[in-house]
Amino acid sequence: MFIASRDLVYAKGRFALMGLVVALVAYLMTFLSGLSGGLVSNNVSGLIASPVTHFAFQYDDRPTFRSSLVDRPMWEGWSSRSGVLQAEPLGHTTFNGRNQRNEPLEFVLWGIRPGSFLDVPVKSGEALGTTENGVVISRLLADRGVAIGDTITLDRVLTELTVIGITADERNYEHAPIVFTPLPKWQEATYGPPGGAPPGEKLPDVVFDFASVVALKIDSGVTPEEIAAADSDLGTTTLTLTESFETSPAYQVEVFTVAAIQAFLVVTSAVLLGAFFLIWTIQRTAEIGLVKALGASNGYLLRDSLGQAMLLLTGGLIVGVGLALATGVVFKATAEAGTPFHYQPLTVVVSSLLLLGAGLLGGAVSIRRITAVEPLIALGRDR
Amino acid sequence: MSLRVESVSLVLGDGDQQVTALDNVSLSVAPGELLAVVGPSGSGKSSLLAVCGGLRKPSAGRIFVSDTEITALNDDQLTRIRREKVGFVFQQSNLLPALTVLDQLLLTVHLRGISPRSADRDRAMGLLRQVGMESRSRRRPGELSGGERQRAGIARALMSSPSLLLVDEPTSMLDQARGQQIVSLLRSQCHEHRVAALMVTHDRDMLAYVDRAVHIGDGRLQPLEVAHSAN
Repeated sequence: MFIASRDLVYAKGRFALMGLVVALVAYLMTFLSGLSGGLVSNNVSGLIASPVTHFAFQYDDRPTFRSSLVDRPMWEGWSSRSGVLQAEPLGHTTFNGRNQRNEPLEFVLWGIRPGSFLDVPVKSGEALGTTENGVVISRLLADRGVAIGDTITLDRVLTELTVIGITADERNYEHAPIVFTPLPKWQEATYGPPGGAPPGEKLPDVVFDFASVVALKIDSGVTPEEIAAADSDLGTTTLTLTESFETSPAYQVEVFTVAAIQAFLVVTSAVLLGAFFLIWTIQRTAEIGLVKALGASNGYLLRDSLGQAMLLLTGGLIVGVGLALATGVVFKATAEAGTPFHYQPLTVVVSSLLLLGAGLLGGAVSIRRITAVEPLIALGRDR
Repeated sequence: MSLRVESVSLVLGDGDQQVTALDNVSLSVAPGELLAVVGPSGSGKSSLLAVCGGLRKPSAGRIFVSDTEITALNDDQLTRIRREKVGFVFQQSNLLPALTVLDQLLLTVHLRGISPRSADRDRAMGLLRQVGMESRSRRRPGELSGGERQRAGIARALMSSPSLLLVDEPTSMLDQARGQQIVSLLRSQCHEHRVAALMVTHDRDMLAYVDRAVHIGDGRLQPLEVAHSAN
């Protein structure tokens, strides 16, 4: 990079301007990856954190947690299948409610059996199952002001729940915090009459024979064909944990939107770098002809110019990604609780490499013009 | 001979637009000799330089640079010949604007795939001293006068120890006195480094400072008598 490195110093204004553009694109790309990671995490963190490999839904072409209904024979049937390490009923209902200060709350009520593999670790307070109507809330709800000892009353059904614990991490579904309750309380709130069973009476046993899905932990040696056979026998549709993310209606739209913006940024970067190096190469045509006349090969000049593009891109990327990471730290420290923002190192590295590759490709296409420059032009007018 | 041109013709253009730029030209330049080719605009001067430097293939004839027939070489081989055996001094010097005077010389080392070392720097500074540019070695072309740029261009052309120097109108942008100084410098450097030099110029006043001269008109050469000056 004998010539290129000196060009960078000589035309520092021009290169600084282009480097700034690269830095801004890298900044936006990285910041968006944080937003994308945050959205995914915020949307389905409850699923991501659960020790589940699969969910068995009621048979449906497009199963969802909201519409699925499974019964006792289904989860008991799954328990008895070979290779199934755990099979637990899980209740899932979206509720609106109010605390004792009459503040509105929106959350997802998950009914699980305390002590089962689905039981959730608490950071503060008591574990699930200590009291009949005690619930463990997602940290997000605690960040929004709900505390241990608070009472949450579910709208419509008027079931009263007492907060006894707070999870160590965020547990959300569809961006709503999850409230973990013992399965019988969930079944009572979901299938029982408003206010629960009348005094002195019990709810019929059948109420306690239903849940939303069967949460499964299946041995990795079990084949998809074996799972399909179990589905066929038990009347369920089983999704892997990752596939279950897409049951959240917003998940696909959010991921697609952010990915589309990032893809446009990659293309924009390639076009910008291509345009810059095209103009730069055209401006340098006489110089290129001169250096060729002095004995420079096309390979020498291409390596020199590509090295220049690489240096410009790398510098811009370091500045842009660095600033975006710093902004992320400030953003997370100052933003409102639950603001979806989360950097994943792999995503940052991959998006930076994509940007580098696209920029180099754009630059390379333009720099290719070097091979067409004739050394003869160094002699000026051809007489 | 460092340069031997044998019956070279160059036809440019097609059909009705055809122009014979060089017509059966033959010449030779010995090591340490400065040969001037004088002629008006459009006479074929630069075409002669272009074919001798391997920048353009002649339509007929053969050219030898240090016994290598360059008319038989492909583009890559010609690039190598230019890098190793030919030095160019261009009109208006043609220096790279981003490089200092010293770097203009070191570039010729780098083009050979070698990172310049202290011996190369010493050689470059020695050449700059010979052309009176040692004190300007850290300056870029934009900070130099026309005469200084030409001196730097001469030093650059000599840096790769070529056997042939091709010089294109070195005085076109200079006043009479500076032009004479540059041609005198060229001649002394050719003698000192034993380099054959072919210089094209339209300026007959410079003929007093060269070893030999020929006239070119309509692509044909004619010998000229040279009356040497005291320089």
